[in-house]
Amino acid sequence: MNINRIAATLFLGVSFLVNSGLATADLSVFACEPEWKSLVDELGGEHVSSVSATTAFQDPHHIEARPSLIAKLRQADLLICTGAELEIGWLPMLQKKSANKQIQTNHLGYFMASEYVELLDAHTHVDRSMGDVHAAGNPHMHLDPYRLLRIAEKLSKRLKLLDSENSNYYQGRYDKFEKNWQAAIMQWEQDAKALKGLQVVVQHANWRYLFAWLGIDVVADLEPKPGLPPSTSHLVSILESLKMHNASLIAVAAYQSATGAHWLANKTDIPVVILPFTVGGTQEATDLFSLYRVTLSLLLNKDLNNIKQEKTD
Amino acid sequence: MLAFKQKSIKTLALGSIIGLFSSSAFALELNPEIGVVLEGLFHSGETALSGQSEGFSLGHNELTLSSPIDDLFHGRLTTVLESHAGEVEVGLEEAFVETMALPFNATIKAGRFLSQIGYLNGRHTHEDDFIGRPMAYRAFLGNHYFDDGLRVNLLMPVSFYWQVGAEVFNGSQLIGASHDEQVGVYTLSTKFGGDINVSNSWQGGLSYLGNRLTNVETGDEEHDHSEDAHDHEGHNHSAAYSGRHIYLADLVWKWAPNGNAKEKEWVFSTEYLRANHINQHADPEDYQYGWYGSLVHKFAPSWSVGYRYGEVNLKLAHEDHLDDQSSKEHQVSLTWSRSHFSSVRLMYSAQDSVGLNPEDDHALGLQFLMSFGAHGAHEY
Repeated sequence: MNINRIAATLFLGVSFLVNSGLATADLSVFACEPEWKSLVDELGGEHVSSVSATTAFQDPHHIEARPSLIAKLRQADLLICTGAELEIGWLPMLQKKSANKQIQTNHLGYFMASEYVELLDAHTHVDRSMGDVHAAGNPHMHLDPYRLLRIAEKLSKRLKLLDSENSNYYQGRYDKFEKNWQAAIMQWEQDAKALKGLQVVVQHANWRYLFAWLGIDVVADLEPKPGLPPSTSHLVSILESLKMHNASLIAVAAYQSATGAHWLANKTDIPVVILPFTVGGTQEATDLFSLYRVTLSLLLNKDLNNIKQEKTD
Repeated sequence: MLAFKQKSIKTLALGSIIGLFSSSAFALELNPEIGVVLEGLFHSGETALSGQSEGFSLGHNELTLSSPIDDLFHGRLTTVLESHAGEVEVGLEEAFVETMALPFNATIKAGRFLSQIGYLNGRHTHEDDFIGRPMAYRAFLGNHYFDDGLRVNLLMPVSFYWQVGAEVFNGSQLIGASHDEQVGVYTLSTKFGGDINVSNSWQGGLSYLGNRLTNVETGDEEHDHSEDAHDHEGHNHSAAYSGRHIYLADLVWKWAPNGNAKEKEWVFSTEYLRANHINQHADPEDYQYGWYGSLVHKFAPSWSVGYRYGEVNLKLAHEDHLDDQSSKEHQVSLTWSRSHFSSVRLMYSAQDSVGLNPEDDHALGLQFLMSFGAHGAHEY
């Protein structure tokens, strides 16, 4: 009787340990960055349970291959990341340590978003004296709505391949997302007309796609080389060069230190604008739609919700 | 017709340009990946067990080739070039194949590789925050223990990180001598860890190393006197102090605001090593031990400062008796990194030794560590 009770307790304990690791949804997704978690939530709905390895306050280039991430990747059916070497400092270690067959490179559960769109600034020659430059091109393409839509289409196809039973469900989710996204693009382009030709100081080339889409010009980069922190001498040279430009704002991502930007702002009266960069970077940026809307609001220095209100009135 | 021709020539030209572009872009992906780590050193003195020579020397200069072999296997070869007292030594530190994805989240590794006991041992020395390994590692593991053998690891099916593993080794790299045993050394280890919240993470580990070679004659080691024990250890990379059973416990804790380690980070790590049943002359109850604790603070993206305290309490086998030796060591290091691939480090060490008679009880060290080519992702 006692032995039975002990055995039952042990069994319960073990099954708890085992089950607590498993997701209840059909597909368990490990996203490297919050934007991909949001996208897979849009497309997968209730059939997907997702985690993001990073938050909007972490630099996706520099992540520790933490034990918790290994444990999460072990359980994943699908790994979705930016690729183009953005996660090269930590993702290979996670893949290896997780020993999860499904998400190894070039398996069905391995999805690198950058492989499905053309990247800007691809280099035929790269060496490290150029800083942290990615040969395949600039990887920060999630803030271009057209590229994002193309990735959504490919990701939806992958979900259908991985979980064919719910194929129709995923198609339905994609169709809805596509319709809403196209409508949103039209609205955003309407709202952002005033931004064309705006001159902006950045800190890293992480706005490359957003600004190319909106027609915003980058006049200076606070990083002396990609990936290197702003140095005093470089900031001084930017201060000099800004005398010739009419920069309207200094754009900094939520995950970046704004020390250099504030120094420059004090010297020039150009305002610093902290942009969310990805989902969760500000309180209002809760999904991809609000991420874009909040970003445009901040760049325009206007509340876009109010603009919409005015239009409908 | 002419217009068509012109157009097709243009298309052809464009096509060949794209072809040229994509083929040269493709050539960037080297297969295999080649990586080089360069290390240069200067030491103002020779402290106990340091294995470092005074003045200028070359440290661990690594040349690594690695590549996927097919969709199941991955391979890696690391050769090490060191200069020691004017002589260049060539060593083979890693030559292994590893499975990428077996059922039950198992991993098998075979060939020559770094043992996974403890926290630091499985890591490459270029990832360290100090010049040289802690004293306990220098005494019991010959800086870092690698050998020829086989490893099996399992990641347990639980929601947190829990890995168990076993290794079998030849053992001659540990004792620095050849022998007749098929399996001279074996290890059992487990690692577990997780996040406390978004800013705090941790990992713990327990390991055991069984050494079946404590009775093997290891050449000059038996006659090794304390004053040149460090010299010997520096040359052979074998452990100067051992035991039938070695137990290790380790704990690492990392803190970074919002988990964003690029700007600021605190890392605390500590390990305890204990060797029982020292040799055939020793009382089985006799043991020797060492431990260290280190705290490293990255206070700006390019700067970090670290403090490490280490202790060893050793028994050197000498003829048929054991000589007591002990040492306490304080180390402070300051590191500047221009990028992820370069660092320059200044370190001050102060020792208080009994029975070890080092040439110096304190020393200043200067180090550069730089890498080019492929640079593998680092472990936690």
